[in-house]
Amino acid sequence: MTASPLMIEARGVQKWYPNGFHALRGVDLSVSRGEVVVIMGPSGSGKSTFIRTFNALEDFQEGTITIDGIALSNDLRNIDAIRCDTGMVFQQFNLFPHLTVLENLTLAPVAVRKRRRAEVEAQALGLLERVGIAEQAGKYPGQLSGGQQQRVAIARSLCMEPRILLFDEPTSALDPEMVGEVLEVMRALAADGMTMVVVTHEMGFAREVAHRVVLMSEGQIVEEAAPTTFFTNPQHERSRQFLAQIL
Amino acid sequence: MTTSSSPPLLPPRPAPPSARRSWRGALRQELFATPLDGVISVLLLAALLAAGVGFWHWAFRQAQWAVIQANTTLFAVGRYPLLQQWRLWLLVTLAAATIGASWGLLRSHPRADRSGTLWPINDLVAIAVLAFVAAWLPVALKLPVPLQLRWWAITALLLVLRGVSGQWGQLVPRRLLRFLPLLWPALYLFGMVLIAGGLGVPRVPPSEWGGLLLTLLMASFAILLSFPIGIVVALGRRSTLPLLRWSSVLYIEFIRGAPLITLLFLGQNILGYMLPGGWAPDRVWRAAWVLTFFCGAYLAEAVRAGLAAVPVGQLEAARSLGLSVPQALRHVVLPQALRIALPATVGQFISLLQDTTLLSLIGLLDLLGTARTVMANPEFLGKNAEVYLTLAVLFWCCCAALGLGSRALERRLDPSHSPT
Repeated sequence: MTASPLMIEARGVQKWYPNGFHALRGVDLSVSRGEVVVIMGPSGSGKSTFIRTFNALEDFQEGTITIDGIALSNDLRNIDAIRCDTGMVFQQFNLFPHLTVLENLTLAPVAVRKRRRAEVEAQALGLLERVGIAEQAGKYPGQLSGGQQQRVAIARSLCMEPRILLFDEPTSALDPEMVGEVLEVMRALAADGMTMVVVTHEMGFAREVAHRVVLMSEGQIVEEAAPTTFFTNPQHERSRQFLAQIL
Repeated sequence: MTTSSSPPLLPPRPAPPSARRSWRGALRQELFATPLDGVISVLLLAALLAAGVGFWHWAFRQAQWAVIQANTTLFAVGRYPLLQQWRLWLLVTLAAATIGASWGLLRSHPRADRSGTLWPINDLVAIAVLAFVAAWLPVALKLPVPLQLRWWAITALLLVLRGVSGQWGQLVPRRLLRFLPLLWPALYLFGMVLIAGGLGVPRVPPSEWGGLLLTLLMASFAILLSFPIGIVVALGRRSTLPLLRWSSVLYIEFIRGAPLITLLFLGQNILGYMLPGGWAPDRVWRAAWVLTFFCGAYLAEAVRAGLAAVPVGQLEAARSLGLSVPQALRHVVLPQALRIALPATVGQFISLLQDTTLLSLIGLLDLLGTARTVMANPEFLGKNAEVYLTLAVLFWCCCAALGLGSRALERRLDPSHSPT
């Protein structure tokens, strides 16, 4: 991992919401290529806000964020370039309900990357195969189960061939029996060497797949450690409290 | 998990009769649930029947429909010059062909997730009604035989094209199919040229348009142009740019704060002062623009409600995939917002169609204006009931077509329906 270039580098990120709330209070994080980082923390700790700054869904007031060598600034071209390379999977899936599964996948590559539809469709069908729902390509998202929808959402992100995937609580809105199938897909992606930042409460996933676990609280990073260390021997009092609550 | 000792799961049983719904049972429940309900139902049905018989008696015994039969051309096109009326016949023929072809193509291309029937019951009913009206109306109106034949031929063209394009529409290549909706704007522009003249066709000034022609022209013009206005103003009202937002609010509230008739009079009188000499449009077009901007303001509110109903996550997902704001609006947000706004939008269009009758108050000869000139004719004094009933039926037909079309569109666009 030592020689790998940095894919995400956040330095001293500060964010205030318009109502004056200090959401991020000087957060630093570096993610190397192929690394899987899991961010945990109680609700309201700023973890979702933090990963949403990586693709400029949230702005920030101080500090710097560099994604794959491109500095996030107010320059719209930079933001568009970063968004093309950074896929995001949401808690509520956010599939486009008026488009079929296949059209959900092909929309962005055709509209943004100007690729040929036939070629993108072939790729999309391959991706749907990979996440195990190729037979649903002609259906609408509302006709699928939650787990299937989230797998479509992952495939939709992959269709843009991103270098980084951000997951914002991808299994929190799912029925328990559907969590497994989504985690399975995420595991396979990690095994393929995808750079991933995952906000989740899934202990098992963090323990098995993450290279590093980060605990956030009140807009700051409290602890950053390898999963084995984090779960068996947390250094900070705040981490111990958090683990005691969720275990 | 399953072991041989666990009890077997129960298989489904057929539903008992009480769980099934029959329309007879529902009707009995609705009309005769209790003795009192039964008495009320019988009394109401008797009153309804008496009114119906009375109306029947008037319509087929007393009413003198000669006032309509003698003025069919006036009601249809006003004082449009007789020698130029072939242009309108051509337009009606082209419109019938486009309607037939579009109808059939829509049926032969069901939604991606559905099998779809080529001849559903709705279509068969619509075709039967259309065929009956087209066969009966020209005779009832005592049109000259050549005109009767012409109407029959036009209706036959529509139905044949619906059948042909329905049966063999699958053979049209997909690439060509994407451009076929453009037939409609093309037809509209060509129709404008046919009606108004220009491009080598003799001009017919707007003051000579009238009747149903003027009513439909005004309504369709206002509908088509108010739609983009409504979208732009709705987006403006939700914009974060203060100037844009406030000017949108100002426009909407100004228009909604004044009755249409006031605005129509204002438009007739004030546009001449606001625009340099010769630039102010003709009286008919002034009214058309007032109608357009009036409808646009109301439409903006309908579209705004639709925009508000699309979850913010949709825009976020689109943006996180790299779509620009205009791309996200076009591909993701607007299609959903407009579908949600569709019922309110069509309601707006229907009331706009009826609002065109106000044009008669500013002296234009739309359907109502024409009707008033006919009723003022000493030859047809006292025939108001016949004329007004005809008008009501004409408007009802137009509105029913709009309503039916919009509901079919709603069903087609609703992604939450499970495949059938």
